[in-house]
Amino acid sequence: MSKASAISRTPNRKMFWRIVRHLLTANRSRLFVILLALAAGAAITAALLNLQTDARRRLSVEFRAFGANVMMRGKSDSGSPNLPSTPRLDNEIPPSDDGQEVPRVGFLYLLVEASPYGQAALSRQGVAVILAGLEGRNVRRVLPARILEVAERPVAPSPGNLPSNEVSGPARPSICRVGQKAAAALQIHAGQLIELANRTNRLVCFASAIEEFGGPEDNQIFTDLFSVQQLTWDPGEYVVNNVSVILLNVPGTPAQIVNYVAKLQKQFPDLDVHAIRQFSEAQGKIYSKISGLLTATVVLVLVLTALCVMAAMTNVAMERRNDVGLMKAIGGATRRVLRLFLTEAALLGLAGGLIGAAIGMALSVWLGEAVFGIAARPRLIVYPISVALTIIVAIISSYPLRRLASVRPASVFRGEA
Amino acid sequence: MFLRLVADSFTRRPRRKVLTGAALALGMAIATAALSVSLDVGDRLAQEFRSLGANLVVTPQADSLPLEIGGVDYRPVNAGAYLPDSDLPKLKTIFWHNNIVAFAPVLEVSATLPNVTISKYGSPQRSIPAMQIQLIGTWADEHLQLPGGGTFVTGIAKTNPWFHAEGKWFSDEGHLERIEVAPMGHTYLPGPPECVVGEKLAARRNLHVGESVVVSAPKVESPQNMQSCDITGILSSGGPEDDALLMPLHNVQELVNKPGQYRKLYVSALTKPEDSFAKRDPKSMSADEFERWSCSPYVSSIAYSIQQALPGSDVRVIRRVAEGEGSILTHVRTLLWLVTFAALLAAALAVGASSAASVIERRSEIALMKAIGAGRGSVGFLLAAEQLLLAVVGGGIGYALGILLARVVGQKIFGAAPEPSLLVFVIILGLAAGVTMLGSAIPLRRAARFQPAPILRGE
Repeated sequence: MSKASAISRTPNRKMFWRIVRHLLTANRSRLFVILLALAAGAAITAALLNLQTDARRRLSVEFRAFGANVMMRGKSDSGSPNLPSTPRLDNEIPPSDDGQEVPRVGFLYLLVEASPYGQAALSRQGVAVILAGLEGRNVRRVLPARILEVAERPVAPSPGNLPSNEVSGPARPSICRVGQKAAAALQIHAGQLIELANRTNRLVCFASAIEEFGGPEDNQIFTDLFSVQQLTWDPGEYVVNNVSVILLNVPGTPAQIVNYVAKLQKQFPDLDVHAIRQFSEAQGKIYSKISGLLTATVVLVLVLTALCVMAAMTNVAMERRNDVGLMKAIGGATRRVLRLFLTEAALLGLAGGLIGAAIGMALSVWLGEAVFGIAARPRLIVYPISVALTIIVAIISSYPLRRLASVRPASVFRGEA
Repeated sequence: MFLRLVADSFTRRPRRKVLTGAALALGMAIATAALSVSLDVGDRLAQEFRSLGANLVVTPQADSLPLEIGGVDYRPVNAGAYLPDSDLPKLKTIFWHNNIVAFAPVLEVSATLPNVTISKYGSPQRSIPAMQIQLIGTWADEHLQLPGGGTFVTGIAKTNPWFHAEGKWFSDEGHLERIEVAPMGHTYLPGPPECVVGEKLAARRNLHVGESVVVSAPKVESPQNMQSCDITGILSSGGPEDDALLMPLHNVQELVNKPGQYRKLYVSALTKPEDSFAKRDPKSMSADEFERWSCSPYVSSIAYSIQQALPGSDVRVIRRVAEGEGSILTHVRTLLWLVTFAALLAAALAVGASSAASVIERRSEIALMKAIGAGRGSVGFLLAAEQLLLAVVGGGIGYALGILLARVVGQKIFGAAPEPSLLVFVIILGLAAGVTMLGSAIPLRRAARFQPAPILRGE
């Protein structure tokens, strides 16, 4: 019984595919239009979906441009400007999720009296200013570009700038970058020497540049960490290697940053570790908007693709009245006839999807390159999803073919409309 | 005869025409929606980027050097200069007043929380020692009277959107307390000011919403001055404010005897990303260039006009925010325009295909016309007229539908619907006409080559 039906089905299946092949190739220009519509839809869908999955990573990269996003400092009880200092933890900071070293900068802030070099002797009052010593790894990722020079490669002052008389204190002055407002308050220019003093010690530093940083840094003087640490030393004590604040630039999405902060909090219970929320929160909000827009566009484009295919299928339905009439007349059941057309639509969807999605993936890589300067990483999951969506759209848009179900062979052959 | 033919074609097979028209309208609706949303998207995104907080900060010009570490200023109250808050309504009268989203003046002073003893029934007495804290006076929901009439609601919650108050923000006016007056009934008197406590401070001092806290600050003349306030919320900011106490500006001004004065003003403004032109020094520009510079909402030109409005102020761009925002905004905008272009392309393709289909199915009609002597031109003209009519009607309906769709999408994503614009209407009608013509031109050209006879025979 089952064998008999199997035998009778084999030629049927052969015939089925033969008819499908003929249906597909009957009108090449129409085949082209439908395929073009489906492929274009699939291409745009794939490109947008890929950009969307990539947008999170991309925005994370973009938002890292804002610099530090995590801050570690000692827990403070008092409102004194000299923040509790903590030992440097450079070697204990864990790597990020993807195993990379997290860029970090340690700061030591100190309230000092600053005055142009040589004027302290004239008993002129110095100006109270915040001196920041900094040092770190991969500083470029953490700080506004202009501060980092003191931390990365100190510039030696040219001998011509040094005063001819003996410099008391350190033989070689430290290098400072002075914030614009601090420089105005001190009345100094680039190339001058500044004298910085706290209760116990004194430091002479060479102002290599006056900078506008566009932030509270404008009120500060920057130099290397070691020089500031020297200022804090009490006579006879030379071992402490402290910082007040460590800034980190942790890569990743807001959720990954929160995880990393939790990890740090566990590891350093004595420290106050927190994410700088200003940027991470904005990142989340903006991602959700962009993602929403891309999703809305994908839906709209799929509707348009369906519309386009539907228009072509309406035509197909008109043309095939005779064929369907004939099929029915020689004993084709309505369901089998419709299955024929659905198979045709699904095949079109598959072909359009395969070609279009591949183009779309390439397109998104190129778009990523063109818009953001970094090529989008193709997500393989996007490919099958776009192909599946295209097939679904193709099948849905063959809805006009349902009219063929009601074709009555006799009226078709009589030539009635 | 021509008009009759056109009218005939519409009335004889209305269903077919409705179908083609519907496809056209739907396609154009989607094009309209995509275009309206993306015309609007730049402004909306710029608005979203204001969640980065203030991008301008105003300080007194004659100020001493702020001793600021980690966002906390450690200068004593009598050091440095102040600005009068009576000038602030002027910010909404400058040329860029519509671009100013929010601003909040800040007066930070160092204050003391005196030691307190907590005695609870059944538990041992606990004493919390006095501690130094940062007291921040600012606006939470100030209803500012503008010189031109109307009010502007602004405050720190808008300039620093990442500040979250559990409970609610204090009210700048304070609240009235009901006082029972025997035997007549009751009256209302102003109660103590409200305040918001940073979460870390709250945890350390065991403070909760609904309790009150006493704070003392050094007054310039008298050595100490006490103020009690009712806690309405616990602030979480992820910054130094978590260790601070926030109170309405005027209460802090009274406490430290600096009436009507503030030290720092945060301004959040909608800006255009800076290009190389914007970065030039306005002093070196010619009159024409200066005009162009001051008429573009660059952050630097907004800073310039704020400086003009607030005498004695020094307006600075917070570069970290402004530059980061500018670069991301430019990228995202380009991306979204590409996306819009893709949607328009898809719409054009769909409409073109459906109008092509509508011409193809009229092959026999075209053949008949040719058979009875119509030239290629008149057939094309007739069909073109029909398609154009359809395009205008379909495009118009599509535009109306698209505006509705744009409202839904805009509301869903940005919480604000884009304004319908005439520009979009013109573009959509043009696009509809162009695409239908193009879509029907291709099959028409093929139709021109048809021999009427075989088609009429039904071959």
